[in-house]
Amino acid sequence: MSAANAKSVLTTPIFKNNPIALQILGICSALAVTTSMSVSLVMTLAVIFVTAFSNLFVSLIRHHIPSSIRIIVQMTIIASLVIVVDQILKAYAYEMSKQLSVFVGLIITNCIVMGRAEGFAMTNTPGMSFLDGIGNGIGYGFILMTVGFFRELLGAGSVFGFTVLQPVQDGGWYVPNGLLLLPPSAFFIIGLIIWVLRAMDPGQVEENEFKMKANTQPKEAV
Amino acid sequence: MAQSNNSIKKILTVAFALCIVCSIIVSTAAVALRSKQQFNQELDRKTNILEVAQLYESGMDVNETFESEITPRVVDLRSGEYTDEFDPSTYEGFQARRDPAASRTLSGEKDIAGLTRQENYSTVYLVGDPDDPEQIILPIRGQGLWGLMRGFLSVEGDGNTIVGITYYEHAETPGLGGEVNNPRWQAQWEGKEIFDEEGELAPAIALVKGGASGETEVDALSGATLTSNGVTNMLQFWLSPEGFGDYLARFREGIDRAEAQDANVELESSGGA
Amino acid sequence: MAIRQTLDNLEPHFHKGGKYEKFYPLFEAVDTIFYAPPDVAKTTAHVRDGVDLKRIMITVWLCTFPAMFFGMWNAGWMANSAIAEGFTSMGTWREAIMMTLAGGHDPGSLWANLVLGATYFLPIYLVTFVVGGFWEVLFAIKRGHEVNEGFFVTSILYALILPATIPLWQVALGITFGVVIGKEIFGGTGKNFLNPALTGRAFLYFAYPAQISGDAIWVAADGYSGATALSVAFQDGMAAVSSQWSWWDAFLGFVPGSVGETSTLAILIGLVVLLWTKIASWRIVLGVFLGMVAMSALLNLIGSDTNPMFAMPWYWHLVVGGFAFGMVFMATDPVSASMTNQGRLIFGALIGVMTVLIRVVNPAFPEGIMLAILFANLFAPLIDYIFVQANIKRRMQRTGVPAEETA
Repeated sequence: MSAANAKSVLTTPIFKNNPIALQILGICSALAVTTSMSVSLVMTLAVIFVTAFSNLFVSLIRHHIPSSIRIIVQMTIIASLVIVVDQILKAYAYEMSKQLSVFVGLIITNCIVMGRAEGFAMTNTPGMSFLDGIGNGIGYGFILMTVGFFRELLGAGSVFGFTVLQPVQDGGWYVPNGLLLLPPSAFFIIGLIIWVLRAMDPGQVEENEFKMKANTQPKEAV
Repeated sequence: MAQSNNSIKKILTVAFALCIVCSIIVSTAAVALRSKQQFNQELDRKTNILEVAQLYESGMDVNETFESEITPRVVDLRSGEYTDEFDPSTYEGFQARRDPAASRTLSGEKDIAGLTRQENYSTVYLVGDPDDPEQIILPIRGQGLWGLMRGFLSVEGDGNTIVGITYYEHAETPGLGGEVNNPRWQAQWEGKEIFDEEGELAPAIALVKGGASGETEVDALSGATLTSNGVTNMLQFWLSPEGFGDYLARFREGIDRAEAQDANVELESSGGA
Repeated sequence: MAIRQTLDNLEPHFHKGGKYEKFYPLFEAVDTIFYAPPDVAKTTAHVRDGVDLKRIMITVWLCTFPAMFFGMWNAGWMANSAIAEGFTSMGTWREAIMMTLAGGHDPGSLWANLVLGATYFLPIYLVTFVVGGFWEVLFAIKRGHEVNEGFFVTSILYALILPATIPLWQVALGITFGVVIGKEIFGGTGKNFLNPALTGRAFLYFAYPAQISGDAIWVAADGYSGATALSVAFQDGMAAVSSQWSWWDAFLGFVPGSVGETSTLAILIGLVVLLWTKIASWRIVLGVFLGMVAMSALLNLIGSDTNPMFAMPWYWHLVVGGFAFGMVFMATDPVSASMTNQGRLIFGALIGVMTVLIRVVNPAFPEGIMLAILFANLFAPLIDYIFVQANIKRRMQRTGVPAEETA
């Protein structure tokens, strides 16, 4: 890890080691906030901000964190950052924060943030940790935006709120797919993204847990 | 280093310092941004009200229009009279429904909208001259399919003709019940009437399946029977003497106020809340 | 033997190194329609039986025929009756076929009803077959295995549980979802833990609810609103149902509904054949039936003032909606159901109980069998696991030695 250069720290989490698609972390919020792209974007920015700064602060004081209370220390830092983000959103992007409702608050429990603070920031320099936070935030955001794109386009016929496919309710031709407006659809889309990523990079596919024994040959079996 | 980090003294110092720093940051943010947030909440409520009154245009100064066009008043739902007990700009009927002194329990058959408790006072918003309003905007709420739906209904000054309806909070299925906020569906409310006969106290307005015909019928949401029932029920409830019925009677012609009062008293006593 | 010779002449082209090597799965599929597969068991574990997967699947396919033909007639009869009452028919090319083949919309004519029903059902089936078959063959070629005949059954079952008026592009999307997400992703026939036909229908149910639920879609006449017995019961109670139809109407199938689901009698004919040939497990069918009876009896006892569905007796549950079809053709799918004998009973009972629960207690979905079967599919491996473990434990107690790994 120590030899990691800035560029790889920033870019590997996007495809190669994506926090959602490979580590399967942070799924819950990916289900809840991806009905529209603009909401996904705000959520992405919030998570990038929180991961980057929590990594930075944890890394800054990493030599002074007693190991017995390190999780609580990380949690406190993350929680404070999340509350600040939530307050700012409520003040300057009220509509957004209404749509995101509790999910901004739930960034606190987003495993990606905790995971990076514990797994990376505790052992790396502040600068690297900051970049790692941004990288992982972007990796999270990449999935979020992709899911959001398909859900909004096929579920409501629009992209970032601009109508692309005129839905029949408004006199157009496109019949919106209601399933994509329901949270479970994000599971399907994330599953398909993982499929594509693994087809492109077979290194991500896990080893088989066991191998089936070959059938006995006729001559062996008397 | 690990040794010294794990000493009790170090643990306490770090924990204490961290708490101080974090709490300062959090409280600073909260205090500094509070006024801005409250302003936003107000703005959101006002926008909703202007929207249902069909006065809203994007880019307008919501606060200014609201101040000049709309007067909030608090109404005693039991008598239908205005009251000055509460400040209309801060009173929240939705909060008051939990206060045993300012609300009542709704029982069984009367509770068609599924509210359980109903406040005694509610805020209405008057458009134009408060004594002879162009529109009266009433807050409504009730159970839909998946949960509570909250919205506003705007009625013309005759206390009978509907201007518009909007929901600002609901959890209905997107694409089916969620279509309560589809502008095309909302548009057909304009000009509909709440009561079908002069002097009648029970509201007639209802959603009907498969083609609304009369003045008091609105097309139901297709594929969303239970949401449609919910909307019908909450209108029937809030526009009856249990809700704003007595208050609306002030504006309607051909209603004997005294009789309305009696009917209401009867309803209440028979309900035996 | 002309066919055998032609096939043998063609075969080398499909073998390794041949021109059409990639398309061997297609060749194999055609070959085994006519002849038993050439493979012989090479190892110790084998079963001597003339029946292979293809014969089993074709038997199931034939078993759906009573329901299918009755369904076509019923769809046509419903539509013709509505048209006779003054509603206009849907679709212009259907009109042309009707005029040529039947000469008019006479609800009294068996032929006219069958033709009109066929103009709705056959396109659905065709689209299902072509689109679903495309995915099936694509995956077979890509993965280098044979085309699996399970799709035969999936396609007919899927087509039979759709309403006649469903748009064809939705049919295509649904079967795509069912085959790809419900089956191929997990490795194809034999590895799917969900019933692909139901997965496809569930997709449509949540994606395009307006075209697959409600009152306006069951009868193929413009503007005609004919609710299914289930949704009438759901909204207005049992009295409203029995005033509209008798129990025998529902049992014989003279009610609106998805094409293949209306006639319980026709479905039971299929069931008899399935049980007689031992293709369907009687334990599953019995489990579903008993679970449904028990749960509906319990709800009848509890009763409810506000929910009329509580009062629906078990013999009505049996004949309305898709219950019978689901019990006979969907729950018994050998891949997605439990494999152990005791497990099958439990699996079936779970479906029966869940169906009634969803029908009665859930406020949003009047029909429950589809979701109940998918739900039970998820539990099937767990149920099997429990019984297999129990068996291993018992054996250990009896013999005192841990089970060896068996070949």
